[in-house]
Amino acid sequence: MIVPRLEQYRHILREYMLPWRSRVLLLALMLFTSIGLQLFNPQILRLFIDTAVDSGNNLSPGATLWPAPDNTMNQLLMVALLFIVVAILQQLVAVGAVYFGEDVGWKATNKLRSDLADHCLRLDMSFHHKRTPGEMIERVDSDVTQIANFFSQFVVIILANILLLAGVVAMIFRENTTTGVIMGVYALFTLWALNAVRSLAIPAWGSAREASASFYGFLEEQLSGTEDTRSSGAVPWTMRNFTRLMYFRLRSEQKASIMNAAIFGVVAFCAILGLGISLVAGYLLYNEGLITLGTIFLFVTYTHILVRPMRELTMQVQELQKAGAGIGRVIELLNIKTKIEDGPGVPVPDGPLDVRFDDVTFAYNDTEVVLQNVDFQLEPGKVLGLLGRTGSGKTTISRLLFRLYDPVEGSVRLGGTDLREASLQQLRQRVGIVTQDVQLFRASVRDNLTFFDDSIPDERIHEAIHDLGLGPWLAQLPEGLDTRIESGGRGLSAGEAQLLAFTRVFLKDPGLVILDEASSRLDPLTEHRIERAIDKLLHRRSGIIVAHRLATVQRSDEIMVIEHGHIIEHDNRARLAADPDSRFAHLLRIGLEEALA
Amino acid sequence: MKDWQIVLQLIRFRPGLFGITVLFATLGQLAQQAPALVTREFFNILTDSAPVRFDLWALVALLAASGLAEIVVRFGVSWTRATFQFTVMALMRLNVFRHVLKQPGARPMPTSPGESISRFGGDLDEIGMFFRLLEMLVGHFIASLVAVYIMVSINPLIAVVAFMPLLLVALIANLTHQRVQHYRRVRRRAAARVVGFVAETFGAAQSVKVAGREEPVISEFQRLNEVRRVAALKDRVFEEVQRSTYYNAVNIGTGIVLILSASAMREGSFTLGDFALFVFYLERMTQFMRMFGFSLSRYKQIGISIDRVEWLLGGAPRQIMVEHNPVWLDGKLPGIPKVSVGEDDRLHALEIEGLSYQHPGSQNGIDNINLRLERGTFTVVTGRIGAGKTTLLRTLQGLLPPDRGEIRWNGEPVEHLAEFFVPPHTAYTPQVPRLFSDPLRDNILMGIPEKEADVPEAIRSAVMERDLKELDEGLDTLVGPRGVRLSGGQMQRTAASRMFVREPELLIFDDLSSALDVETERRLWSRVFSRDGATCLAVSHRKAALRRADQIIVMKDGHIHAQGRLEDLLQHCSEMQRLWEGDFSEEARKGNGAAPQPATTT
Repeated sequence: MIVPRLEQYRHILREYMLPWRSRVLLLALMLFTSIGLQLFNPQILRLFIDTAVDSGNNLSPGATLWPAPDNTMNQLLMVALLFIVVAILQQLVAVGAVYFGEDVGWKATNKLRSDLADHCLRLDMSFHHKRTPGEMIERVDSDVTQIANFFSQFVVIILANILLLAGVVAMIFRENTTTGVIMGVYALFTLWALNAVRSLAIPAWGSAREASASFYGFLEEQLSGTEDTRSSGAVPWTMRNFTRLMYFRLRSEQKASIMNAAIFGVVAFCAILGLGISLVAGYLLYNEGLITLGTIFLFVTYTHILVRPMRELTMQVQELQKAGAGIGRVIELLNIKTKIEDGPGVPVPDGPLDVRFDDVTFAYNDTEVVLQNVDFQLEPGKVLGLLGRTGSGKTTISRLLFRLYDPVEGSVRLGGTDLREASLQQLRQRVGIVTQDVQLFRASVRDNLTFFDDSIPDERIHEAIHDLGLGPWLAQLPEGLDTRIESGGRGLSAGEAQLLAFTRVFLKDPGLVILDEASSRLDPLTEHRIERAIDKLLHRRSGIIVAHRLATVQRSDEIMVIEHGHIIEHDNRARLAADPDSRFAHLLRIGLEEALA
Repeated sequence: MKDWQIVLQLIRFRPGLFGITVLFATLGQLAQQAPALVTREFFNILTDSAPVRFDLWALVALLAASGLAEIVVRFGVSWTRATFQFTVMALMRLNVFRHVLKQPGARPMPTSPGESISRFGGDLDEIGMFFRLLEMLVGHFIASLVAVYIMVSINPLIAVVAFMPLLLVALIANLTHQRVQHYRRVRRRAAARVVGFVAETFGAAQSVKVAGREEPVISEFQRLNEVRRVAALKDRVFEEVQRSTYYNAVNIGTGIVLILSASAMREGSFTLGDFALFVFYLERMTQFMRMFGFSLSRYKQIGISIDRVEWLLGGAPRQIMVEHNPVWLDGKLPGIPKVSVGEDDRLHALEIEGLSYQHPGSQNGIDNINLRLERGTFTVVTGRIGAGKTTLLRTLQGLLPPDRGEIRWNGEPVEHLAEFFVPPHTAYTPQVPRLFSDPLRDNILMGIPEKEADVPEAIRSAVMERDLKELDEGLDTLVGPRGVRLSGGQMQRTAASRMFVREPELLIFDDLSSALDVETERRLWSRVFSRDGATCLAVSHRKAALRRADQIIVMKDGHIHAQGRLEDLLQHCSEMQRLWEGDFSEEARKGNGAAPQPATTT
């Protein structure tokens, strides 16, 4: 558990509050006005009491705010009305403060949310493979929501309350020096006590949040895998896991609740202590004839007012603790550096791309080498068929071409540019891919095709769809491009989802197209229909077709066979097919043996 | 079932715990009144205006005692409150989750997983928070009765005036609850959309990255956040206006008390101590009134939350949410019932008659499917994309709810498909299997005790033994969220192992071949058929499968277009011919000399 340092709070403040400083100032002004009015109201009550009880007999000179009245009853009525007016005014200011506080809070945290989402999205895939979408919800949204109070209320309210505290002490000091000093000591003691419990609850809150994050991570995964759970008869097992996570959550919630009680216990103790002090002090001073009854009442009211900022401060300490845990995690997240740093922007040239692997060795982790000294070149406009078992390294080659990972040794070049030198944005515009698992958003067909890029005109989308021969499919959609796709694309067949992925690639103008087992889930007839479209896509472009099935590599000019991360064969397809000793010919035979079985 | 009945039903689940929480809350509220009474006595001592019952030090001691009591009660209430709240929410979560798992598993959830989570999370928490409010309300109410009694006994007129704002506040709360509800609903919807979008974006992180579309995706995220900001602002400010209205009503009331007490104090019928007590109590009343109004609006809000959680039930009666069931929060976890196989469970013949299902809001689906499977036979379903092959498998197993039709197991009609078509009767490998963030072993076993299962044999059947050797930690390898650390083929073989380890009577495959290379697949089929008396139903286009099939079902537009053995279909069915040719003719033609023409003799 990371307890953030002060400078980290400061950094977050500077980064996200400064842009809204004029509103923050306005907010501060409103809160200060509200404090002034709160300090003023007890004075009205004192005036009322002293006027009512003693009719001005015992008034000490410094305590009067208004000249002595001629008509006491009128004066009392005026004071009562003043009380009402001040109270209403204070409420109005408070509403204004809430408006500005919330507004600034949401604006600042939305900025943080989007920075965080952007940062995480740009992290390399090793980050994403470790985290469920449910966990990302916790990190990008829930943690930031906790920080929201840090922005909208904590900073200004803590300051305001400390100011109120100081104001109260000063007002008491004005009445009686000794009592003022005692109250000052009392306020310091209270702040110290609160500060002492401050860090007490952070670990408890942290583990409560962790328990909740793993619960929601589990839930998210389960909710999208109900088909598998059901058909495997694994419902009781899943329920058991569910209850286990609930049990852990309960334990952590209970611990956190005890921490809460400790915090409120301190507040209650201090409130009682304050009242005790003001009663005893008032009693002694009154008996000495130093203060009026109204002033004792003033002491009691002010001490009572003191409880409110203490309570507020405690609540904020609580928010602060939550925010502290949240900020800790946010900073931790922001500090994760991507292993894939954007290059200086050497352009990847236009037109069909020359693909080159220079002695590339790659491993996802330290132990397992996935590609070993892979060295090959594909000339512009040529199509390479990549063959190999699952896990042989084919998918890794396509991932390297997108620079989802960097090679451990050697380099990957497109059109002569080392990918580490190119800008990621441009590189990924120049390479298109269709994978077998198409990931869809719960959004319109248009947004799914363009990834929410409004700048792509509908005509271009229509053009791409018609090129793919998907015109009839588009025509049958109830609302055309505006048709909404349900969550996870569950309304679509796997084939339809893949056709959408084809369209996504058509919308770019890539110089290299990678089909990663692209047609594996299409039935033969649909596959036939889109082959013409693939032809069109591969026309004047380089292509790499990753496939297990021989049928799908027939369009390639060259064949490369990989096994255990080594190239074991790479040559012209026709030549390899004609050589009976080649691995490719062997695979063809096995494929056909299968057909004859 | 009304909202209040749901609340009541939840209280009934742990009435003792709730009772204790309410008792603690009430005691806490009463303890907080002690300072007011002490202050009154104090002023009465000073002004000699009432019979003196205590001296200063007795009052201070009383104050200390009440403070101690308050602290003790706070610890108590904190613990019981958290436990009660969590327990009843656990009950609802378990009930809803159990029901979701009972739903046809392949039917889309009414919302995205992210949004479902916001219903499981935020909305249920909202319902939980209501209990806190309720118990505080009870505590405040009782404490307020005491306060009112004391105030009335001091001065009935002033006391009655003090209650006027209460009526006003109740009126305001009732007038404005519609708006509160509206703003809250808009806010929740906007929040759910943000959460759903985060889940989708990070679920599709790789797609977004390779498309190089981080920027537009992030600006869509910003747009959704902005929508939520506006909604939240409206909701919050309106809430604050309401709160402020309560305070103002009470402040005006206090002002009136000031006016009324002015003459009474001058006359001496109302002491300074009484005045102090009234001012203190009025503030307590403010809190109570606010809580009262707040509870009213909150009650409407939990109505919204209950509705949103009810959505997850997909139309089932809402009682299900609050049915009293074990919640297993004592650390003992529920057992997993052992699956036993009786003689009736053995498959002799499976008959499907008139099975139909139409996807909601579309013309797609299956219509009037008739089919018979015998023990030990292999049935292959084939057809072009969108022909209804997967839908057929899913509907058969109750993973989609059939519109019509009957399924008979050994001649006996099956009543509840979804409950019946699970192991030991059937097991299923879906087209895109989902794995869970657990070790590989757990993903295969999913609750079957390891000593009762033959994991190595299941792995062998699924041709996975080599993958297993390549994985660093073998069966203990953590597969990552949704299994992402495995390749597509490994995921599918894991799912197949999961199916085999259950030793079902009928094996159901949906296009198992899509992520397997030719050799792996060939081995897989031969191992499947080396299993004793295996009965299989599979979707496939591959010739290896089609040739082995005892019967082939050719589907087209949701109907069975043709049915029979391969050689007959190839002679008489043009659709079958096209499917057959489509797959291999090109390969054979382009395969040059090394590839002989495939023989069509069987």
